[in-house]
Amino acid sequence: MSGGLILHLIRLEASKLMSYRADFWITAVANLLSTVVVHWFLWRAIFATTGAEELGGYDFPVLMTYLILVNLIGRVVRGSDLQMGIATEIYDGGLSRYFLYPTRYLPFKYAQHFGSIIPEFAQMVLFAAILVALFGLPAGAGVTLTSLLLTLPALLVANLLYFLLSTPLQCVAFWADNVWSLGVLLRFASLLLGGAMLPLTMFPDWAAETLRWLPFVACYEFPVRVAMGDITGTGELLLGLARGLGWCGITALCTRPLWRRGQLGYTGVGI
Amino acid sequence: MIEVENLRKTFKVHKKAPGLKASIRSLFVRERIEKEAVRSATFRVNEGEIVGLIGANGAGKTTLVKMLAGIIHPSGGSATVLGHVPWERSNALRRQVALIMGQKAQLWWDLPAADCFLLLRDIYQVPAAEHAAQVERLAAMLGVEDELHVQVRRLSLGERMKMELIAALLHSPRVVYLDEPTIGLDLTAQRAIRNFILEYRREHAPAMLLTSHYMEDIERLCERILVIRAGEIVYDGSLRRVVEEYATHRIITAHLRSEATLAADRPASAPAGLVGIGEVIESSGTTLRIRVPRDRVAEAAQRILGAHRVADLAIEEPEIGDTIERIMTSRETGGAAP
Repeated sequence: MSGGLILHLIRLEASKLMSYRADFWITAVANLLSTVVVHWFLWRAIFATTGAEELGGYDFPVLMTYLILVNLIGRVVRGSDLQMGIATEIYDGGLSRYFLYPTRYLPFKYAQHFGSIIPEFAQMVLFAAILVALFGLPAGAGVTLTSLLLTLPALLVANLLYFLLSTPLQCVAFWADNVWSLGVLLRFASLLLGGAMLPLTMFPDWAAETLRWLPFVACYEFPVRVAMGDITGTGELLLGLARGLGWCGITALCTRPLWRRGQLGYTGVGI
Repeated sequence: MIEVENLRKTFKVHKKAPGLKASIRSLFVRERIEKEAVRSATFRVNEGEIVGLIGANGAGKTTLVKMLAGIIHPSGGSATVLGHVPWERSNALRRQVALIMGQKAQLWWDLPAADCFLLLRDIYQVPAAEHAAQVERLAAMLGVEDELHVQVRRLSLGERMKMELIAALLHSPRVVYLDEPTIGLDLTAQRAIRNFILEYRREHAPAMLLTSHYMEDIERLCERILVIRAGEIVYDGSLRRVVEEYATHRIITAHLRSEATLAADRPASAPAGLVGIGEVIESSGTTLRIRVPRDRVAEAAQRILGAHRVADLAIEEPEIGDTIERIMTSRETGGAAP
């Protein structure tokens, strides 16, 4: 696939999302507000009940920073995951047209997916700036310009990994009519096991250590820890990125036979 | 350009009896049946040819086109398009092929057609200047210049179909599959699309395979047809030859100087002098239309002329559509020409 086509797809998807979706901003604001409000009350209550100053190494303000960041970053990582675009196109025959084009389907879809997260990214930056302007940054949160810049490669890897994790699940649409529930399952499993619902440091040590070997950490916890300045050493940063990329390779390898076998039985229904 | 040899496609489909009990049972045990959509299709389409692929609903037309377009894999047999196996989907082939589906939008619903065309330019890697000139020319030919910047989903069916045609032909394909390109369109739009296809053929001489349920599409565009029945090609030959080979009857129309006398007890049977020869299709006043077996046309004409005072007499071939319909629906097999 040519670089020109990739850029074209990214640009087109980004502009489509911003031009035609009036609900785009409303959804984003509602999502952020509900997250902030729910977490604030929930964790306020937990801290008050336990009487602890810190939980899992986080005091209340830093924990809120972590949870808000994970929410903002998570939207960029997932994009429009629950739309299950690939599965839908397999199901309704929309895949057929891509078989006619002299291009590869999955890179094509990833370029579209990537384009769709650019408005999300812009929102993330804007909302983060507004929140910082309103409330400031807590003393314990090590967010700096450098840490934010270092987050960008982690975010790219996370986005690619999440797309690749969802692809084999979406390939199930070659054999089953409705795979939406698999998308929901991936979202919740990744949120819980990737440290997006609560930091992994709040899990028992053995569980946290095990979860760090799974791909979901690279989707949420790793980029957030980079953003919060928890990962400063080049070695640790490169190791985290390498783990994420390694999982990208593994999931791509798992997708390959599924995709090959699935398209052999593809019937192109709907035409 | 398109060569097909014993191409087959069998689908495995799940079967379920109606009712809740059967639905629960199907969760554990599912019965599968094999459906032969295409059986041993053999034919070729040459450069500059528009070949009509005709068959009843479910006869296997679209399945055949999908295999040749590389969308689905066959169960057996072989096919090459421009020397490539279509379902291997080489980019070299895909750059030279187009599929237009009247029943399925291929353009991006939320984008204006002009944006879709720009994306297709990058997909097919058409030089920018060539692409712009081509869009302008094709849009002018189809009269849709003013709609280029309207979202596809806001276009009328006819306008959308015209945009689909432009999109499919922007890269000047050498092989074009047209799957019911005029379905649901008004007569003006149908005519515009037919003229456009003929113009494209004149300029580019592609191999074209056209499926349509409209006989006018077939008669206007195709010199040669393939008739497919229950997945089997039962006729491959010229459109004209269909009538010569398969029309078993002719229609004799006689305008009489006085009213014909029909047998009193059998008003729908042949009038005096023609009993046992033909079947009356119409008998109103002085007009008589009789369906007569081909080998008895001369005899019937002689008898009419002998028995009545005839002002005018015409012998017509039956409609091509009727003849093809008879081939499509006949239970007999065979008769397919190579």
